[in-house]
Amino acid sequence: SAAPPRPWRLFGAMCLLRLPRISQPLEKVEEEMAALMDQIELEKSHYSDHEMRKLEEEEQLKRKKESLYDEDEAHGKTVVMAQDLEEKWEQKFLKFKAASRITDADKSNDRTSLNRKLDSNLMLLVKQKIGDQELWLLPQVEWQPGETLRSTAERAMAVFLGDHIQAKVLGNAPYGIYKYKFPRAMRTENNVGAKVFFFKAFLQSSDLSQAELKADHLWVTRKELGDYLKSEYLKKVNRFLLD
Amino acid sequence: DALLGCHRSYRSRPTHGIGKFKYLLPKEVPKKRKEKVQMKEISAGNEYQYGDVNIQMTSNDLCLVEHFAQYVHRLCNRLSIRVNESYAMPTRTNEVLFMEERGSKMQLDAVLTTHQRVIQIHGLSSTFAPILLEIIQSNQPEGVHLLMKQHTEADFKSRLKSRPELEELLAEMS
Repeated sequence: SAAPPRPWRLFGAMCLLRLPRISQPLEKVEEEMAALMDQIELEKSHYSDHEMRKLEEEEQLKRKKESLYDEDEAHGKTVVMAQDLEEKWEQKFLKFKAASRITDADKSNDRTSLNRKLDSNLMLLVKQKIGDQELWLLPQVEWQPGETLRSTAERAMAVFLGDHIQAKVLGNAPYGIYKYKFPRAMRTENNVGAKVFFFKAFLQSSDLSQAELKADHLWVTRKELGDYLKSEYLKKVNRFLLD
Repeated sequence: DALLGCHRSYRSRPTHGIGKFKYLLPKEVPKKRKEKVQMKEISAGNEYQYGDVNIQMTSNDLCLVEHFAQYVHRLCNRLSIRVNESYAMPTRTNEVLFMEERGSKMQLDAVLTTHQRVIQIHGLSSTFAPILLEIIQSNQPEGVHLLMKQHTEADFKSRLKSRPELEELLAEMS
């Protein structure tokens, strides 16, 4: 005998996270502390091999200039002096330029690119049509009987981003739930409302060139979520976000 | 003959055994010889719990990886996850040689050391494991590789050194 149809429709939603790529900048207290500790360490430390060698060679040079010894050459003078090595290293270091922390996408506030805020989590938001409203949501798809909720969420991801995404879902358990009732006009015996189960996935690679983005999408940080999501939805989503 | 006379307290004297103190100290178990390090049983988890899990952190920077390992250890303490062991694998040294061919062939040497720290955890519930992984992943410093896997016998054996002479002798005997 068939089970009685439940009044709630089930959806599985996927929260796709891109983990931060750089560490966050230090606070003022942390910076001062770090500088202090560095100085203490420097003052407490001993000379390294390279520095000892440098000092010895400086002394040799001084002695040579003062008394014009040529005997020192017999002591196996090295061809390459420590000072020269240091200068070579300095030049090499000056040639190296580190990439900037604030990318172009940050400056133009282009929210569709993944190269934004490199020091915080980015989440995917998609524009979906629910009922007759177009809303910004985490990508969600209706659950079909016979599949697990986790596979529903993965299907949601595949629907919006194409099949070839390297995202990893960690566990089978959902992270949060949001339920809402349909407006009275739409309610029937079997269709009181809907429950949305949230899952989390982590982007392994930031290469989305193969993804076919069908709808409008955005990559937003946690603080910017409030600009796009409705308050009830936002409250439930905020519960499972770590920052 | 005060010099020759020894005033050793003999058993009949009341001051016999006046300097003894060893009876006051706690009893020491006689030190056994070093036994072979036995492998503790590796528990494979059941459906709701993982058994022994190894978190391996590798990096070129020693301070970073040590501080990160300490952080992970303290995090597990705070979250009341049992930490079985927390050890370090031997460091590997790599020599990097640059061959520059601009006229005269120069060889610049660089010596890189790779350090590895392992933390072994027991009793991780399957609902909590993704959250823990997420916390550790989001707090990972730059330049540190993270690897989480289940503990196997091969992992345990990799910590021990093999003694070829002993093995030869054993083979000869048997």
